[in-house]
Amino acid sequence: MILNPFGTADWMAIAPIVALAIASLLVLLADLVARPAISRYGAVAIGLLGTAAAAVLAAMQYGHVYAAFFGGFVTGGFTTVFEEIVAIALAGSLALYATLGDPKRIGGTVALMLWGSCGAMLMAGAANLMTIFLGLELLSLALYCLCGMVDRRGARESALKYLILSSTASGFLLFGMALLFGASGSVLLADLARPQLAANPLFWMGSGLFLIGLAFKMSLVPFHAWAPDVYEGAPLPVTAYMSVATKAATLAVFARVLYAALPAGTASHVMLPVWIVAGISMIAGNVGMLAQHDLKRLLAYSGIAQVGYILTAMAGGSALGLRYAIYYLVAYTFMNLGAFAVATAISGEHEEGARLVSYAGLARRRPWLAAAMTFFMLALAGMPPTAGFLGKILILATSADSGYAWLGGLLVAGTAISLYAYAKVVRAMYLPQSGDHHVADLRPIAPLAWISVTLCLIGVIAMTFYPLTPSNVLPLLR
Amino acid sequence: MTGALPVALGNYVALASVMFFIGVVGVLVRRNPLVMLMSIELMFNAANVLFMAFARAWLQNAGQIFAFLVITVAAAEAAIGLAIVVAVFRSAATVDVDEVRSLHG
Repeated sequence: MILNPFGTADWMAIAPIVALAIASLLVLLADLVARPAISRYGAVAIGLLGTAAAAVLAAMQYGHVYAAFFGGFVTGGFTTVFEEIVAIALAGSLALYATLGDPKRIGGTVALMLWGSCGAMLMAGAANLMTIFLGLELLSLALYCLCGMVDRRGARESALKYLILSSTASGFLLFGMALLFGASGSVLLADLARPQLAANPLFWMGSGLFLIGLAFKMSLVPFHAWAPDVYEGAPLPVTAYMSVATKAATLAVFARVLYAALPAGTASHVMLPVWIVAGISMIAGNVGMLAQHDLKRLLAYSGIAQVGYILTAMAGGSALGLRYAIYYLVAYTFMNLGAFAVATAISGEHEEGARLVSYAGLARRRPWLAAAMTFFMLALAGMPPTAGFLGKILILATSADSGYAWLGGLLVAGTAISLYAYAKVVRAMYLPQSGDHHVADLRPIAPLAWISVTLCLIGVIAMTFYPLTPSNVLPLLR
Repeated sequence: MTGALPVALGNYVALASVMFFIGVVGVLVRRNPLVMLMSIELMFNAANVLFMAFARAWLQNAGQIFAFLVITVAAAEAAIGLAIVVAVFRSAATVDVDEVRSLHG
């Protein structure tokens, strides 16, 4: 009899990832077979179909907890939520890529985006160190290539920078994993929660190096310098993808470690440096935004601060905190993708939408786009009629409740600073400019970018009025 | 800890730590991306030494499998890394990281 170590149920658990992988192979095949005939829309259509299939398959798993591959991949609740976030980011950036992308490279780019998302979804469900590393590298390797996929010197440079710095961070993460394996004798995250580990120096060194690696991937402050440069150099749709999917996947790993893989009583000690770094990120990220004249750099600094907000929600290690963190992450996904979609809608070949100068007088040329951008900026800043405001209130409440009021205080301070930076974009669009000669270069309307803007608007508004936070996520985490 | 190691476990940890440290210093000090990539490989292999030593000490095959996984990933990373270095050289005619800095920062 042939030994079959993995049953059908194991393959069902990774069905969304398999769907993405199949779609990416189909894109490559179509690109190869029908090269002159396949338009950029053809490749993107296959990609979007694969993404939709993955999203539906993931949604069908919700509530059916299953630990596949000897406990290496857990799916059902928490994982499903993060898989959906990755699917949203992927669908959004594919739509943007159809508008802006280089037709010569469309097949490879779409395939890489799909593979990167396989990695991100693996990270979302990773319950042992091997799966975390595999998912992280799959995502990162795809992103290095994606950053350099255009003929621009800046893009190549950002790819090199990202490759070197991110691989170094992977080295730290991996060495930390090796030490954690040495401490526990197991690669399962759940085995790291054994109480006797609290006295083992290997555990402390290992978790320290592991967290340095994660902090880099989340672009927290001492390890954030790569983010603005890489975001600036990478093509606009790739930046949009990176800003959401990488953060979501890394936050999923971080949350699983925090909630399910620490010996009882050690969480507040092991994670204290992370909370401090998150606090610094909220201030430094928002201060960094003030000096930027490039939308991608501005949103990179914004992202550094936003990760800080999400970590603030988790700081107490409470179930409620995780729910609010997920709520804010979903809202952030829509706001950020929306801002990038507006930038794409006013971009041509040279990515004009990435520069703040291009927004001068936009309110007269494209009043609806300007209104949408204003809404997204207000949401990112956390102003009252938006999901960003609701999310911040919930985070403040939970941080005060769990004894991390100082983080809440830093969040408020950071928000106050950020208002000025976000207002800069809005001011440019609405204030009449003396040298306003941009009226002439009105581009034809890019339908997919406009659809993305609309869907993101609907997403943010829906999140405001129906603050859905998955209630039974925490018990499904392990 | 079970299993008899001919060399004490601490020595493996010391060796791996030294390898890792050399790798980190290499990334920080050297300005040639090829040497930086080699230093990163050194960091990965330091982790591999640890995985193998701990796998033997705990009699857990997972560590050895992990090392194989790391070797595979490192190979992919080197391939992509070299491709990117070539692409940068084509557009900038230099790969020195001090000169490749049109992005501010």
